[in-house]
Amino acid sequence: MNSLLPFIPERASTLADMFEPLFWYITITTSVAGLLVYAAMIYFCVRYRRGATTGSTPRILGSERLEITWTIIPTIIFFTYYAWGVVVFTHAAHAPKDAMEVYVIGKQWMWKAQYPNGQRVIIGGNPRNMSESERQSIGRLVIPVNRPTHVILTSEDVIHDFGVPAFRNKIDVIPQRYTHVWYNPNKIGEYHIYCDQYCGTWHSLMVGKIAVVGEQEFDDFLRGGRSLQGSDHPVDGSLASEGRQLFLKLQCIMCHTGTKDAKAPVLEGLFGSKVNLKGGGAEIADEAYIKESILKPRAKVVEGWEAIMPSYEGQVTAEDINALTEFIRSLKRGTTPDGTSHFPPPVGAPTERPPTLTSPGVKK
Amino acid sequence: MSTTISHEAPAPIAAPPPPELAPLEINYLNHSYGIWSWLLTVDHKRIGILYLVSISAFFIIGGAAAGLVRVNLLSPTGAIMTEDQYNRMFTAHGVVMLFLFLIPAVPAVFGNFFIPMIIGAKDLAFPKLNLASWYVFMIGAGLAIWAVLAGGIDTGWTLYPPYSSRSSQSNVIPGVVGVFITGFSSIMTGLNIMVTIHKMRAPGMTWGRLPLFGWALYATSLIQLLGTPVIAITLTLLAVERAAGVGIFDPALGGDPVLFQHLFWFYSHPAVYIMIVPGMGVVSEVLTCFSRKNIFGYKAIAWSSMGIAVVGFMLWAHHMFVAGISFYSALLFSFLSMLVAVPSAIKVFNWTATLYRGSITFQAPMLFSLGFVVLFVIGGLTGLFLATLGTDIHLHDTYFVVAHFHFVMVGGMVLGYFAALHYWWPKMTGRMYSDWWSRVTASIIIVGFFLTFVPQFVMGYHGLPRRYPNYPAEFQIYHVMSTAGSSILGLGYLLPCFYLTLSLFFGQKATANPWSATGLEWQTPSPPPVFNFDTTPVVVCGPYEYAIGVDQMGRGLPEAPGASDNPASRHGQTAAPGPMHKETEVVG
Repeated sequence: MNSLLPFIPERASTLADMFEPLFWYITITTSVAGLLVYAAMIYFCVRYRRGATTGSTPRILGSERLEITWTIIPTIIFFTYYAWGVVVFTHAAHAPKDAMEVYVIGKQWMWKAQYPNGQRVIIGGNPRNMSESERQSIGRLVIPVNRPTHVILTSEDVIHDFGVPAFRNKIDVIPQRYTHVWYNPNKIGEYHIYCDQYCGTWHSLMVGKIAVVGEQEFDDFLRGGRSLQGSDHPVDGSLASEGRQLFLKLQCIMCHTGTKDAKAPVLEGLFGSKVNLKGGGAEIADEAYIKESILKPRAKVVEGWEAIMPSYEGQVTAEDINALTEFIRSLKRGTTPDGTSHFPPPVGAPTERPPTLTSPGVKK
Repeated sequence: MSTTISHEAPAPIAAPPPPELAPLEINYLNHSYGIWSWLLTVDHKRIGILYLVSISAFFIIGGAAAGLVRVNLLSPTGAIMTEDQYNRMFTAHGVVMLFLFLIPAVPAVFGNFFIPMIIGAKDLAFPKLNLASWYVFMIGAGLAIWAVLAGGIDTGWTLYPPYSSRSSQSNVIPGVVGVFITGFSSIMTGLNIMVTIHKMRAPGMTWGRLPLFGWALYATSLIQLLGTPVIAITLTLLAVERAAGVGIFDPALGGDPVLFQHLFWFYSHPAVYIMIVPGMGVVSEVLTCFSRKNIFGYKAIAWSSMGIAVVGFMLWAHHMFVAGISFYSALLFSFLSMLVAVPSAIKVFNWTATLYRGSITFQAPMLFSLGFVVLFVIGGLTGLFLATLGTDIHLHDTYFVVAHFHFVMVGGMVLGYFAALHYWWPKMTGRMYSDWWSRVTASIIIVGFFLTFVPQFVMGYHGLPRRYPNYPAEFQIYHVMSTAGSSILGLGYLLPCFYLTLSLFFGQKATANPWSATGLEWQTPSPPPVFNFDTTPVVVCGPYEYAIGVDQMGRGLPEAPGASDNPASRHGQTAAPGPMHKETEVVG
């Protein structure tokens, strides 16, 4: 058995630093209010106990002035909580645009992370549920200190929740949707990751570690201990290049050729743009939109195109979709692969999830 | 009544009257005997007793499950159970306590028994519907109990899909169907109470003279009527998805898992007010009686009950701040959640002000009610942490939430239930229980409660998620403290089983009005006759004229327990002074 926990839990992010003053503001104000009520109750119970009174009591029916007072004052105080809470929540809910992005997939009962460069880690879970290779790659979710990290989450089965108490933030992880959370860690260390949404037998073992490390250590982690390949051609083991291979393998390229006679919309520059939908309405092409378009292509058809795309439900894993999303995100004008270059065999280039990459801050 | 006996008798009487001479009073308990006279009764009082017996049994089952959960948490890897067993056990605790105890507790037992009596009616508006509600409840409860005990359910009481519809290998469907069926009973009771309050009040019982327990039950009935159909639909859809694979909530089948949460909390958030508002009604009755005061701010308390019932429907999504709902809906629901805290605060202030310049005694009902206020203050205030967005994103789904809602549900509601049980027990059974044991029990429960749940706030603040049979070792000391507290709490819950049962056989006979209370239910013998009142009472004043010392029919009150110098003590004779004998004082 251990000693008592610290008075204030470990803080390791900018959000945690914003959380604590708010938490203690509410704690202190509610404690004062509660103790005032208790003091009044105790005083009345002692002062006006039967033995200390004549037994005769005054007929007091109430007081409008008091009612108004103790309606308005608490309301005002409660709304200070609300307003301050909104400030903190706004910070928590909006990731900066330049944040490093990491995909995290929850499944019963483990967490898997995919870095943009293709680096993959199992960041926790119940080893008894894992395949041998998964057990080998159990590690930590490594993120750099003092640099924002945007975590994009989805689940392969049921609802999970990705919570990091030291960062004072958590978000549900929902199947076939993407949810987002971001951290700006400001303290190097290793912290708990918990699954906070009940997910079945080993829910309590769906825990992992998040490691906040210095810049140099983070680069080493991304490099996986190997030297850089030094190429920014997308055949480099990055998530986007993996997506590129899938794009070819799954025959997406047959329709999404990017040419004038294509049977399907051009995907270059699609990510983050606004798409007009058939039947009115528009949608921002984000992760969730792309995922839905792969799994349920008929749900949202692009204006001017026919709904001819088949569903890839069951043919692609959550990791595959993340890779495809990264590929689409990386597609710039004129970079759609040539339709004839099926399975480009880059000599010497790794084709299966190599732990190598281009450069530390690889993006897009 | 024995109004004159106490003053004569200096001269010895030659022969004491033989005991048979005292005519056996016919009351609802002894006018007929036999199992069928109970199982086919349409008397609201007997149905109340049927509910009391049933939900006491469910409380014991749910409490035993809680005990096993707490014992298991003594060790960071689970002291006595496997993970699967633990998951089934906390689900059993949640399902049984919420659907089979807390929701029916006060409305179906005390609402049934006392709503007609406090308004001067013979029975509820629909006596047969009332009996049907008990049968429906027992069928649903039987199914749910079977589901959680034989095989078990491992989804948690919240039943979130797609886990509950796809993954769970447990008795989800029988449990869901059981809860679905008990919902009908809840609707029937709510409807019955609402119609009764509308249509069957005695002459003179205006809305402004309705005891606050009546207002609280009216607000509760409103929630039951409007909310329960939604959970019924939701659970039906869940069962259909699980049984037939129809895609409603499971995204793999084209459904939307967050839709379930919206529907579920649309009922289940107001449902927490089904649980707590009746307790607030009880407290208003008890605090006035044992402080011999008019309630402070009658209208404020009555309208705050209605306010809670209405606003309570508009904030369900504060259970979903981290469920991926949109940023702006989170802002909206946080704002609305702040609003519902206001009526609760108003009630607490009014209760406290009621004690001012009272003449307070501390029998068990009063101790339980004071305990209610003390614990509800903490439960309510900690709710603000969860309504505030910036703090909820850390505290959500942790032990902080567990501690918060136990403070409200157990600290609030269960204490309110015990207050009602102790307050009305003499009326229901005609017997007094042990004053000393009941006070000791109230103290044990309050102390045990604090020890159980305060450590959970600390664990939650440090981020420990709920529903974890395995937890990091640094939390163990708090779990051990919590389990130690729960054993004290458990002892407190067991004691009433003994002294209340003993009181049935050995308790002193209760007078019609042992607490010298003003409500109409006390103006008829204990236990009440079959039709409650021999003649329909005529109400002449408001419910809490303790200062003047008259009941709602304008008659004087008997001597209050523990008061020898009460000027209002007139031994049940009709009082000479009518209302307004005492000047109304203005404070504030």
